[in-house]
Parts: sequence; structure tokens; C-alpha cells
Amino acid sequence: MKLNSEFRGKRPRALLPALILVIALVLLFPLRGEAYAGPGAGFAVLSSFWTLFVAFLYSAYAFMTWPFRHLLRTLRRRKAYGQAQIKRAVIVGFDGMDPELAQRFISEGKLPNLAKLQQQGTFRKLRTTFPAISPVAWSTFMTGVNPGKHNIYDFLARDQSNYLPFLSSAEIRGPKRSLKIGKYTIPLGKPQIKGMRRGTPFWHWLGKAGIFSSVIRVPVTFPPEKFPGVLLSGMSVPDLKGSQGTFCFCTTRRQGEKFREGGVRIPIERHGAVLRTYIPGPDDPLAGNSGRELRVEFEIRPELDGSRARIKVDSERFTLQVGEYSDWIPVKFKAALGFSARGICRFYLKEVSPEVEIYVTPVNIDPGRPDLPISHPVTYSIYLAKLFGPYATLGLAEDTWALNEEVLDDNAFLTQCYANHHDREQMLFDALDKTKQGLCACVFDTTDRIQHMFWRYLEEDHPAARGVPRDQRPDVIPDLYSRMDNLVGRVMEQIDGDTLLLVVSDHGFKSFARCVNLNGWLHQNGYLALKPGKHESGDWFDDVDWSRTRAYTMGLNGLYLNLKGRERQGIVQPGNEAESLKEELRAKLDGLPDPSSGKTGITKLFDCDAMYAGPYVENAPDLIVGYAAGFRASWDSVMGKVTKQIFEDNLKAWSGDHCIDPRLVPGVLFSNRKIAEEKPAIVDVAPTILKLFGVALPGNLDGKPWTVAVEASS
Amino acid sequence: MTGFILIKMSLLHSHAPLVLVFLLSFVVGLLMVVVFRYTSDQKAIRIAKDHLKAHLLAVRLFQDQLQVVLNSYWRILGSTGGYLRLAFKPLIYVIVPLTLLIVQLDRYLGFVPIESGQPFLVKARTANADVLDQTSLQLPHEMALTAPPVHVPARSEIIWRVVAEKDGRYDLGIKAGGQSYSKSVIVSQGIERISPVRLRGRWLERIFVSGEAALSANSLIQSVEVNYPARNISFAWLEWGWIWLFFVLSLVSGFLFKSILGIEI
Repeated sequence: MKLNSEFRGKRPRALLPALILVIALVLLFPLRGEAYAGPGAGFAVLSSFWTLFVAFLYSAYAFMTWPFRHLLRTLRRRKAYGQAQIKRAVIVGFDGMDPELAQRFISEGKLPNLAKLQQQGTFRKLRTTFPAISPVAWSTFMTGVNPGKHNIYDFLARDQSNYLPFLSSAEIRGPKRSLKIGKYTIPLGKPQIKGMRRGTPFWHWLGKAGIFSSVIRVPVTFPPEKFPGVLLSGMSVPDLKGSQGTFCFCTTRRQGEKFREGGVRIPIERHGAVLRTYIPGPDDPLAGNSGRELRVEFEIRPELDGSRARIKVDSERFTLQVGEYSDWIPVKFKAALGFSARGICRFYLKEVSPEVEIYVTPVNIDPGRPDLPISHPVTYSIYLAKLFGPYATLGLAEDTWALNEEVLDDNAFLTQCYANHHDREQMLFDALDKTKQGLCACVFDTTDRIQHMFWRYLEEDHPAARGVPRDQRPDVIPDLYSRMDNLVGRVMEQIDGDTLLLVVSDHGFKSFARCVNLNGWLHQNGYLALKPGKHESGDWFDDVDWSRTRAYTMGLNGLYLNLKGRERQGIVQPGNEAESLKEELRAKLDGLPDPSSGKTGITKLFDCDAMYAGPYVENAPDLIVGYAAGFRASWDSVMGKVTKQIFEDNLKAWSGDHCIDPRLVPGVLFSNRKIAEEKPAIVDVAPTILKLFGVALPGNLDGKPWTVAVEASS
Repeated sequence: MTGFILIKMSLLHSHAPLVLVFLLSFVVGLLMVVVFRYTSDQKAIRIAKDHLKAHLLAVRLFQDQLQVVLNSYWRILGSTGGYLRLAFKPLIYVIVPLTLLIVQLDRYLGFVPIESGQPFLVKARTANADVLDQTSLQLPHEMALTAPPVHVPARSEIIWRVVAEKDGRYDLGIKAGGQSYSKSVIVSQGIERISPVRLRGRWLERIFVSGEAALSANSLIQSVEVNYPARNISFAWLEWGWIWLFFVLSLVSGFLFKSILGIEI
């Protein structure tokens, strides 16, 4: 070729400048064919122009319609903003932040920003709900009504027809119709998701008045409801299996007990230098009700140095050090006929030598390609994923079960918690940036999870920390409060004088050192009967004789009568018999002492008839058990199990709790404005915000608006 | 390898150019996305594209807030710039070989050879108009002039109208002021390597449009050009220049392979 011979004729050192010159000239003065330099450049150029074109269209649409929308909005908002005392409300929720601990750390000078709010604005204890459980309290927070009107009484509710539990906040079922062809049952349509929480969140009322809201991770907002604003669902979003979080522990060790709850143990098989195992996924949608699960297999190649392993999942390959988490890894569970489910999970390499152990987080719904709606609009979760990368979507994303079962250690758990927390901080600050007017509310779970799991280090003699020397106990909870204070400080920098800042928690925290199996007590005192020859029951009342049972407990605080006409095998007559039975139980259980120490285990039983009012009271327990500080329902009792032992030590890492007498665990209320109310309650938040925005209060609210100072404290 | 394929293809039927462009597009599409994969920062490209999408979604999600829309639009411009910057590095790797490939392919696919019996023009441009009268064309026996030459002094050009009797590779002789030059002419019905022009100097232009050695530096002739007809390829009820068809098909091919191989572009 002539051209090549010409090039060959030149000295090599002239080649590079010539090449650079060619590139420069080609780029600057493209001729016929050289304007196009392959699909890569073609895609880049096309994508860029396409993006700019779409952006231009969006912008043109926004600009052209903005005057009309602005006019409409102004007309709609005139009434609200005309009487509004604030331009923006920012609510930072810290699930479980305790007022006594907050005051203690403020006094120790560890929380300068919260101290500033206390001095210049408000710091009060915030009365919580009965019971003091997050889904109940946050439902009341958002609706401004008592549980009798929003229908959430616990994480779990019981099926009156069979005494079995179900998730109280949402119900997910398969599609209504399916087509059976041979061995396949083909679903026709999408899964049915039914929200069980009733009542109207206050941001819906704000939206009707034309006020925009950004709501992030407030519990019990799944499935997301339509309203004028954006919302990312929080607690109660399931994992891809449909559970509230099922981790996977892959191990070459053959022995090991089945996990009590929250996880599955999966064997790792050795194939020479390669090890293979799998992540269990959702049920095969084509297998009908057979319960056959889908799987994603993965390979592990331990490296010779014994400190690392290479992992291959689908097309993803990555290397992990022992004690290191992977990024969020996309996984695809493939069924036949092209059906699949997509999720994301993180891998944690626990051990490589001599055995191999890998923990895999519950498979979260992929926020970038959600198989179930986890936000409103559905593009909001996608927007956040594109902006910040994949993030945990599971309602209870911090894997407390894995720490409880000692699959994760303290550090691994904390790393996971703060990684999730970091993502949510980014979301909050983006929402603050995008919501210059209106409501911006974000709830952080980190405070709740870490206090649950690390309270043991806060107490001198907690049973779960026995044997850990004082000087080896990490300051996890003081550090937690300090981090949250730092977050509040950064939020304060983002707001102006027209913004109301509320820092709230749904409940406080206390120690959980002793477990109480109330079902055991009911059995031993003749209120709950077992089948002949049985002295203990299995989970979920296996071996309970309902025809002779008058009362039982399920969940964390609810005590139920086996009421005739309500429960399927009820024997207690409604009316006088039921009332006298409640009186009898209260007389015996109020002040119930722990025989080992003489301390009071239960302070008081609260009659739900006196506390709740509304259309859903029939679903409520009959009594709420108010455990004393240091006590809580035992792990067995929560799961409907009757044991001989009534009081026992809690040896789990889950060592702090709030499911006790709600009077003992109020939440916190900090504000940048003076609030006159001396005993504010969480039920008052919704009416207060509505009033401050000048929106008329709906008639069915139970809360009362606080008197809030017009000017923000300087 | 390409030459071999071209020779084989030239023996094939009249769809040879289309088949050839399809084949090349398929191969080039695959090669280029693979090169792109290994010469680009895939993670940074993915993040840049995600940011672009996020800002686009922000315009939609927060459309009632003009300030957010404006900020998002500004960020879209910034992200687009960042994305193009990331795509520039692989572009540097592929642009030289691909440009040279396209230049060579253009010799075969850009023009149709002269058909025997069909008149064509030969145009010589001289250093100045004075030389035009001293310039003549020497034709091989198989060719003949069909009209007297036309002088265009304003552009220092002289144009001859020529016809060839039969297929073959010919050298036209051009004499000017005592100097002699030649220009190749292809008369054929297949795919041939065609050089439409022979140039004096103009090194860069020669690389892109000429397939012949340069005229000597002291030549009175600046260029000799044969007006080969441009080749059109019929595809999907449209007449395509090969480069446009190659552009579209290699994009399609690249798109397919990027999806199959999981490559971010």
C-alpha cells in the first residue's frame, strides 16, 4: 500500500508527532468518512445529543407550562400560604432517640448542636403511643390519630381465624389471575400489594393545599401512596423474598443450629480450587404454590494468602478481604419463560481459612429497577439510585438478626448500619436542596438499631455483656448520639429563619436484660391450656388447646382474650365475662415481680377499650402489657410459644428495647423555635405542621396543635 | 485479510457492497465496543450516565420548582460535558486505525468504476493558466476523446471528455510544458480500488482522498481528477452512501454487543 510505504520511509521518531498531528487534524477538520470514528464515539455523541434533546424538551415544557402551573398552584396555595407561619418544615426523625440519654450527653458536652436547639428553641420529652412500637408511633405521627383509627398496633397482627400472625402494615399476594400451561402456572398481572395502615398522612393534606413534600423513609409508608410530592418508603418494605429481611450465611462448616429467625444457613460445596454455593431467592412465580424457590449461584475462589477471596456472581466479579463488605451487587433470579426477579445484595467475607464463610445481606429490591413500587412516584427511587448509586431499600435494612445469631460481629454490623445511614443522609440533603418550600421529612433508623444491639455496653451488669471487661466496651451509643448531633448541625446550616426544624423520635430506649414469657405465665396460671401431656408449646401456639384457653399474647405488647364470636375457637363471652377477665388479669399482672431479684417485671396492663377509639378497634389487642424498664416479652413469647421458664436472662446482642410501659420511654422533641406545650405528644405533630402551614385541620384528628413561636430562635 | 475478502466479494453478485458493509459493520461494531471497554473508565462512565439520568428525572420530579429545574438543566450540561470527556479517551485509541480503515474502504466502496461505453471527465488543474495551452492528454488505444478539451482559465483547469471501449486498468498520460504525468483509470463493473484524484503536495488530503503517489513537487500540474460516480447502496428502500449505512449498522452492531457483553458506552 502506497500510504504505508510512505509512512515506512519516515524515521520512527517522526511517527509520533505525525500521529498526534493526524489525530488533531482529523478531529479539527473531519473530511468525509473520518467524521465518524466508530460505535463508541457514535454512541457517545448520539447519547449526549439525545440527553440534551430530552432535557431541552423537558425544560421547554417546564418553562412554557410553568406560568400556568404557578398560577394554579398560587390559587390553590393562597389560602394555605396566606395564613402560613412558615415557608418550610424540616422534620428529622431519629427512631428511638432517648431523651434521658440525649440530656445526659448534652450535659457532658457531647451534643453541641442539640444543646443549641435546647437553649435557643425547645427540648421536651415527646409522649409516645400505646404501645411504644415504631410502626404504631410513626403511623400516629403521620396521621395525627390514635391506633384505633390507623389500624397499626404492632409489627404483627393475628389472624382471628387461626391465631397465626401476619405483617400488620402491608399484605403482598400473587396476581389475581394465572394461566396454567403444563407444568407452569403463568401469573397474569402484577402482585397485589395492600397497605393495611389507615388514616391520611398529613403530607396528603398539605398536597391538597398545594404544598410540596419530600418524605424519606418514614416507617409504614409501604406501599407508597399517591400525593403531590415525592416519597421513599421505609420500614415495612419487604426484601425480594417477601420477608422483612432474610440474610444468607454460606459456610463450609457442616454443623450449626438453624437460625431462630431472619436468616438461612447455606452449605458451600468444594469443587477443587473453586467453591460453589447459592443465594436463595423468591418463590418461583411459575411453580404455583409449590414453594419452590429461585436461586442465584455464585463461585468463591480463595486466594493462597488466606486473607482474600474472589467472588463471581453472574457477570460480576470482585475480590473481598476478610472482614470486608462488597458494594451492592445486582443479582437476577431467573425462572423459566423469561421470568425473573432483580435485586441487590452485599457480600461480607467472614473467613477464608481453614473454613470459608460468607454472609450475604437480605436481597433488597433494586431501587434502580424496582420489581415492586417502593417510592412515589416510582421514578423517585430510580432518581436516587442514579444520583447516589444503589442503596438499601429493605424496611429493616440493618441486619440485627445476623448480629443476634453471631453471624456478624459488632464491627461488621456497625459498618453496615453506618453505610446505610450515609446513603440516607445524602438523600436528606438532596431533599433539602430540592424542597425550598414545603415539607421535608426523613427518618433515620440507625438510632433504633444501634441502641437495640449495643445497650449491653452501656450498663454495668447487662447479662449480654457479662465477661466483657469494662475497658473493652466500645462507646457505641455515645458515638451514635454524637454522629446524629453532627447531622443535626449540618441540617441547621441548610435552613433559614423561615424554616421550622423539628427533631423527633417515636420513643425512647431502656435496657432489655430480662425476658418475660407471658404465655408461660398464662399457662401456669390457668388462662392458657396446652393439649394433654404437653408442658410447652411450639412456635405460633402449636399444641395450644384453644377450647380451654381464655387469654394469650402475641407480638411485643398485645394480650388478647380468646373472645367468643371474634376468635374462631373463642370461649370468653364478650361483655361482663370479658371485662371481669381483664380485671382479673390486671389484678394479677400489675406489678408482677421477677422472682430472682424481686424487681417489678410488669408495671401495668392498659385496657385498650379505654385508650383506643375508631373504626379499627376490633383489631386491637384487649390489653397492652407495660413491662418495667429492664424487662420485655421473651423471644419465645413474641412468637406465640409457651415455655416453662417465665423469667430468664436476655443473652442476645439485642439488649436494649422500648416495647415496655410507654410512659417510661417517651421520645424526644427538639426544635429551633420555642414551643409552649409542656407535655407534647407524637400525635400532635401532624396537626401542628398543618396549622403552621395554614391548612385547615381535618375533623378526625386526635392530636392538638402546639403553640409555636412565630420567629425562629437566632 | 480485508483485501482478500474484497477480492472474493468483487466476484460475487451485485449485492456485494451491501453484504460487505454489513459484514464490516458487524465486525467493526464488535471490535470497537471491545476496545471501548478496555480503554475507558467503565465505572466513571456508568456514574456519569447515571447522573445525567438523575438530573433528567429531577426536572420531571420537581417540575413545579423553577429553581430546581434550572439547576438540573445546568447540571445536565455539566454531566454531558463530563460524559463526553470520558468518551474522548477511547476515541483517541480508535480514531486513527478506524480512520485509516475507513479511508481504505472508501477507495473500494466510495465510488463506482467507470463503465465501458460511458463517457467520463478527466480534469487537470495547472499551476497557472498560462500552462493550459501547453497541456495535452495521451490516451491508451482503448479510449477516445468524445469532445474537444475545455479550458477554464479562471480556475486554471482543463477538462477532457473521454470514453473507454472495454474494461481494464489504464494509465492516462498528461503532458504539460515538457513534463509527463500519468493518472490511473479503472473501467470495470465490480468492486475495485479507486483513486479519483492524483495530487501534488497536500499530504493530508492525499491520505484521505488519493490512492496514488504524489505528483512531483516541481510539477506544472497540481492535480488530475477522474469523475467516478459515487456509489449508492440500496437498503431498506433507501439509497445510502456506504459511510452512512456503515454508521447506522455499526451502531446497531455496537449496541447489540454492548448489551450482550455488558459494556458501558
